[in-house]
Amino acid sequence: MIRLEKVSYSYPDGTPALKNLNLVIKKGEFIGVIGRNGSGKSTLALQLSGLLKPQAGKVMIRGMDTRDPSKLPEIRKFVGIVFQNPDTQFVGRTVEEDLAFGPENLCFSPMEIRKCVDMALAETGLEKYRHRSPKTLSGGQGQCVALAGVLAMRPECLIFDEVTSMLDPESGIAVLKTIKKLHRKGKTIVYITHNLEELHDADRIIVMEKGKIMLEGEPESVFSDISLETLGLDLPSLIELAENLKTHGVIIPWEKTASPQSFAEEICQLFLKT
Amino acid sequence: MQEPVFSYVPGASVLHRLDPRTKVTTVMLLGILTFRIDNFAGIVALFAFFFVLALLSGLPVKVFLRAVRPMMLFIFFIFLTQMFFTDGRPFASYWILQPSLEGVEKGLKLAARCILLLLFAALLTASTDPSAITCGVERMVRPLPLRWLGISSFELATMMNISIAFFPLLFERVERTKAAQTARGMDFVKNPLRSIPALAIPLLRGVIRDAEELALAMEGRGYRGNRRTSIHELSMQKNDWEALFILVLFILFILIL
Repeated sequence: MIRLEKVSYSYPDGTPALKNLNLVIKKGEFIGVIGRNGSGKSTLALQLSGLLKPQAGKVMIRGMDTRDPSKLPEIRKFVGIVFQNPDTQFVGRTVEEDLAFGPENLCFSPMEIRKCVDMALAETGLEKYRHRSPKTLSGGQGQCVALAGVLAMRPECLIFDEVTSMLDPESGIAVLKTIKKLHRKGKTIVYITHNLEELHDADRIIVMEKGKIMLEGEPESVFSDISLETLGLDLPSLIELAENLKTHGVIIPWEKTASPQSFAEEICQLFLKT
Repeated sequence: MQEPVFSYVPGASVLHRLDPRTKVTTVMLLGILTFRIDNFAGIVALFAFFFVLALLSGLPVKVFLRAVRPMMLFIFFIFLTQMFFTDGRPFASYWILQPSLEGVEKGLKLAARCILLLLFAALLTASTDPSAITCGVERMVRPLPLRWLGISSFELATMMNISIAFFPLLFERVERTKAAQTARGMDFVKNPLRSIPALAIPLLRGVIRDAEELALAMEGRGYRGNRRTSIHELSMQKNDWEALFILVLFILFILIL
């Protein structure tokens, strides 16, 4: 669906951000991207959405080359991107108007625009804020508006660039829940984060370092890789605990490390067995 | 929080339902008319016309008071200058100032015109959603050859929209920068000369970064600066043509007066 072939990109000031990167994203996948600041995660997001064009290699989005300007409207319709700061993503004075921005750019008729807006509002549960100014909403709701603004264009692939990093934990969880719901409905998701806990049930995790993919695989294998800590990433505390227990001969299955509840249940069962 | 001047007051009156183009045209014509007529009868007629419209709009009186109040001092000043510096028959003499009757007349007219202008503007902005105004303006300037200026009507409309939407963010940023500088010992009251650059430079940097982020988000949502549609459906109804017809009759009436 999205294919990166030997993509390289350096910023105008000379810092290389991506080096010879190859990546294939399949339809319906939930891909987590992690890595420290400056590892090229955000540049990757911009390349995937066609907002930046590769200097070498090519990015193919459903068979369309991002360097071809005539394909851009089609690409924009297909891939949506949500950024970190909700405040700098609003263009409308009411939620409704803000959501209309994307479909307006695609030159939909007023009636179609209404339909897109209503659908996006329903999917994010924002109907009751329709006429509010997005600036008066909380951070989490604001980020939902930003997400809905992208959804209104009905993209098949959604890219999230550290969307929860400016939110309090509770709103972060709520936003992630909405994203997972969209994934279950068949959307392809690329989720960039610093918080590894959010990626426990991702289909695949990509670890970036210095513009390259250092590690790639299912969460279970990536999280158990010891090189993770040298990359400046913190393992989720439950997984770290499970790893420590393993050195003492206590094995906690991967699925049970998803939440404190399942972890506790497993420990209790082991305890009762002995 | 105090409501800003010239803000939109949602409603469902005849005025609210008119096409924004009708309303913008009306206010523009009435504005020109206000400064064209030179007799008190015309001014009185305009005030009467305003009262009829205000009643039709069903808007609370405070909307209009709020529009005029901040300008009252300025208007009063205009009145005084006219009164004292117009040549004519003086009716009194204070030192070198000699208020003349002609001056009073001129001053009153000018003050009344300013007030009328503010009132009509308030009527427009209070009865029309700002984005509908933008949309209306966009449709009205679309036939103009703006290309020669290097912009399109769509860009103009987007610029209007975004500048209005971005204002609160700007103020928030000012407050935040101010707080950050105060925390580091900057005294904005004692030291205004030094504090201005200390405020302006981080502010400018922040605003430029915000703008870059916004531009990226807009591009990601398919903005290309060219033709786009709008969620607001604009269509001139029978009501609009009737309103414009009444307006023309009224203008003719005033010009004959």
